[in-house]
Amino acid sequence: MLKINDLENISKKYRLDLFEKFLLMKQGHVGSIFSMMDIVVAMYHCGYVRFDEKTKSFLDKVLISKGHATSALYPILKDFGVIPQKEWDNWGHKDSILRVFGNNKIPGIEVTSGSLGHCVGVGSGMAINFKRSKIKKKIFVIISEGELYEGSTWEALLFAKHYNLDNLTIIIDINSLIILGKTEDCLNLNPIKNKIEGLGIKTFEVDGHNFNDLISTFQSSQNTNELNCILAKTIKGKGVKHMENKKHWHYWNHMTSEEIKKTKKDLT
Amino acid sequence: MLQRDIFITEITKSLEKDKNIFFLSADFGAAALDELRDKYPENFLHCGISEQAMMDVATGLALEGKKVFVYAMAPFLSLRSIEQTKCGPGLMNLPICLISVGIGLGYADSGPTHYSTEDFACFNAIIGTNVYTPSDNITTKLIAKIILNEPKFSYVRLDRDSLPLINPETVNSDIKRGFRIFGDVDTKKIVIISHGKMFHKCFEIYKSEPKKFTCVDMIRSKPFPNELSKFINKCKGIIVVDEQSPSGNLSSCIFEGLSNQNYFPKIISKSLPERYVFENGGRDYLLDINGLSIKDIKETSNRINNAD
Repeated sequence: MLKINDLENISKKYRLDLFEKFLLMKQGHVGSIFSMMDIVVAMYHCGYVRFDEKTKSFLDKVLISKGHATSALYPILKDFGVIPQKEWDNWGHKDSILRVFGNNKIPGIEVTSGSLGHCVGVGSGMAINFKRSKIKKKIFVIISEGELYEGSTWEALLFAKHYNLDNLTIIIDINSLIILGKTEDCLNLNPIKNKIEGLGIKTFEVDGHNFNDLISTFQSSQNTNELNCILAKTIKGKGVKHMENKKHWHYWNHMTSEEIKKTKKDLT
Repeated sequence: MLQRDIFITEITKSLEKDKNIFFLSADFGAAALDELRDKYPENFLHCGISEQAMMDVATGLALEGKKVFVYAMAPFLSLRSIEQTKCGPGLMNLPICLISVGIGLGYADSGPTHYSTEDFACFNAIIGTNVYTPSDNITTKLIAKIILNEPKFSYVRLDRDSLPLINPETVNSDIKRGFRIFGDVDTKKIVIISHGKMFHKCFEIYKSEPKKFTCVDMIRSKPFPNELSKFINKCKGIIVVDEQSPSGNLSSCIFEGLSNQNYFPKIISKSLPERYVFENGGRDYLLDINGLSIKDIKETSNRINNAD
């Protein structure tokens, strides 16, 4: 089992690795990726997403509904040997299989996403299949808080609850920002917890950047044996001071050499 | 028997041997569906009146290797969840079959919310679709069998009403070819192309004046049956009749398909007008007052004759 300090260092390294790629490509949704990085590091590196060493594949499924942030998984999948090193090295070139938005042709990426509000439904389809086939696999769906604006998310939550999909965990990355500003100013979503609990779905709240908290929450989620939803409070652009909580860092932005230097320093 | 019952009965028969099938409904029923649900509850999912979530759930099932059928009323399955259809079975090329019931003005006199007069254009525009419009129960049954044997991303446009059987019967090779042709083609003849309910009006025109008209039942509009041009390329002109809105209907598909074969005939589109239909009076009356009567279609041929 990795120590908390190790997990923090892994997260930091992944952020830096991804930043270097985005810098090369001059594109990438840095803010949204950095906000969920610690969550996925905890999920994969603490064994909540089970890995089969023999087949070099994951037993459980992770769907990144916020498709603009799917690339958060690439360095993890590379470290597990699912994405070959040469593909990682090739990322940023025209013939690379890796994309800013993920697709299911990329090893370890289960779904083509990008349009918001799809994956609670897609994950529910997978989950009900496993449940009815008595296959012991778990489905994790990571959605952005902004996907709660999509009606299809709520439709799918109703479905997941009705069919008691106890093999499904939905993680909401709540960084409180959408493109035009704070969610509470643009169109208030709060109280998110009450709304989801109102559907009868078990919820957990977690600091999405605190590994102790993340580990204990994933453990509790695993022990519930019922459909559950983890509300992860995060910071958009986490790890880089000038990006943190800045709405414009949803997208890639031009950076001066001084900003690049500062970013790398923050991530080292 | 209704087309929907024919189609679902074939699925139920397949379920006896193939438990890999899932049938999803957005609260839309059929007599045959009652039997399917009763016999195979583990293969049925009620998704609520939630076409969008239904398509996403179908995508998840199909990603796990299931043969998935989704079922709802045509106006809602086609338009409400079209982005889910594009991003699921479209983008990921998944074997999901959408069974869409009540095309055209099938739900007369419910009004424009319940009419499906844009679905053809929408589904022809989605990359990778196989679009079928059966004109009778035999054709419906054969389409169901083909999709069950070779699952693929398909959109099946069923009529709400029971349509007369076409004589002689449709056979498997017709489904594979994608169209049926009635009558010979020569330089004096006008070919009327249609599908679904409208085919029967065109068939009547052909039967009443076989020396003047040839008739085509366009069973599959996408992928376009390229063989069609070979059969009709000597004709005087083409009338395409579709119970859809004026843009993107079967005539667009015929024009694109034929011109891609370097065949550029005179084509006239007969469709519903550029307006929403609010009148009452039943489907046949509504078709008559909106330019889709047999008389209207016949008279259209004068435009081709006069164009010489």
